[in-house]
Amino acid sequence: MGRICLWGSGLVVISVLIFILSVLIVRGGGVLSWEFFTSSPKGLFLGTEGGIFPAIVGTASLIVISIMIAAIPALLTAIYLTEYGKASTLASLMNVVIQAMIGIPSILIGLFGYALFVVTLGFGISLLAGGLTLAIMIFPTLVVLMRDALQAVSDDYRILGESLGVSRRYVLQKIILPVASPHLLSSILLAMGYAAGATAPIMVTAAVVMSRGSASLLNPVMALPFHLYILFSQHISLERAYGTALVLVMLLLIINLLSLYLRKRYGKRVVSNA
Amino acid sequence: MLSDRKDLILKWCSLGCSVGSVLVLLSLYAFIAAESLPIWRDVGIMSLLFNQEWRPLDELPQFGFLTMLVSTLWSSLGAMLIAAPLGMCCGIFLAEFAPRWLSAVIRTILNILTGIPSVVYGFLGASVIVPWYELVFSVPSGESLFCASFVLSIMVVPYIVSGTYAAFNSIPAEYRESGYVLGVSKMYVTARILFPLARRNIITAVMLAFGRAAGETMAVLMLAGNTLTLPLSWFSKGEPLSALIALEIGTAAVGSRQYQALFAGGLVLLIFVSSINFAMYYFNGRGRS
Repeated sequence: MGRICLWGSGLVVISVLIFILSVLIVRGGGVLSWEFFTSSPKGLFLGTEGGIFPAIVGTASLIVISIMIAAIPALLTAIYLTEYGKASTLASLMNVVIQAMIGIPSILIGLFGYALFVVTLGFGISLLAGGLTLAIMIFPTLVVLMRDALQAVSDDYRILGESLGVSRRYVLQKIILPVASPHLLSSILLAMGYAAGATAPIMVTAAVVMSRGSASLLNPVMALPFHLYILFSQHISLERAYGTALVLVMLLLIINLLSLYLRKRYGKRVVSNA
Repeated sequence: MLSDRKDLILKWCSLGCSVGSVLVLLSLYAFIAAESLPIWRDVGIMSLLFNQEWRPLDELPQFGFLTMLVSTLWSSLGAMLIAAPLGMCCGIFLAEFAPRWLSAVIRTILNILTGIPSVVYGFLGASVIVPWYELVFSVPSGESLFCASFVLSIMVVPYIVSGTYAAFNSIPAEYRESGYVLGVSKMYVTARILFPLARRNIITAVMLAFGRAAGETMAVLMLAGNTLTLPLSWFSKGEPLSALIALEIGTAAVGSRQYQALFAGGLVLLIFVSSINFAMYYFNGRGRS
């Protein structure tokens, strides 16, 4: 009896993924075409015909902006937490705050972004406001991933550096960062995937149903997840909604598998025998 | 340890940067609290939390979160009802019973599942699960808190599995060996020796998953039915707090009562989820030391 439950639960997890992928491929595979990727939404109700090109561009720019804003501060914070502030009260306090921030619902980050960037700073519903909001959303996750990446590098290197009388910065720059770089890259990819799929924060700060304007920082953009939501909830086109969902899931699948591969493939380098 | 000038620069840069970013994160609390302050003062805490009516645009506007709070509790507690047993079983299976290769495969799958965005889960739930639900229960429209819970449970299962798996994995092998030496079954060892040792970490994982489910937006927005009546059962329609905020913040005039009330709702959700997170952080921290 117990064994059936245990094996059954494993089977459930496998079948959930197979189910999701097969439904998306069977129902959404039909609309995928060159035109679907490269043209704008058209039709009487926008989206019944045409493609999702502006949404792809919008999502790509949101990801790039948010990661550009978040990556460097996150790396510096991770460096502080693992290298300089290691056991200090301040660092452990920061750890608590950042850990707790990971669990904050994304809609509340959106609410904050709306109040701060859209209203108070006057950016309006725009690419910039959305990118900044997503940057705040991914920041805590990114810090924790990067902190773990740096911590995974053996302490032997640090001790060795100390005994040779070189500075912490030197050890960091010459040894720890290069050794940890596949891990760091994998963290960045994961965070990008997280930003690409986020819908609630951008639906209040950046996304619109249709944008023709040039891609400027202060214009609103289309985005894949929001486009999917609109296609479905406004009953525009179920078929195209499946197609959009398939594109989104494939994009995230590639990003996540790449990130996983980097961590697995180069994971061994981290353990030193020095 | 030697410090050159570049070292000092990096040290102060990293310190400044981390303090700055933590302050930005903390300002999220301050901002949401400040934007909603007027309505807490004027309408009152009790009235906001326990009034059933949400009619922000009426002549005599009513701002009460009770309906949404009850919806949030139904959908997230319901999700736990499904996800907790499933996730714990799967975690135990992966740590103790599954062949090594199968365990690795399933853990990769769970990794992929957490990467699928919530809007896709909501979409699949609404276009596949809801029609099935309509068919099985022969109701005209199947969007309900039950459907929301069902999809939420799939979304949070990976977190419970990985928490359970990690808890079992961290138990030293001696506990298992001393059980087998006494000649009891693997099942008995798992249930009577390992499970009690892992219990604290499993509770933490389930509570964190509960917090996630309570704050999840897109899936419940697309599945719960969005009606503003007090949901009396798991199978009624409802509108969780997160869905209310997502639906109305875009159209609420900045600074209006409705705008403030939505931030008040956000603050309630924020305090609810954060207190779970902080409580679990300390609950778990004490167990480890």
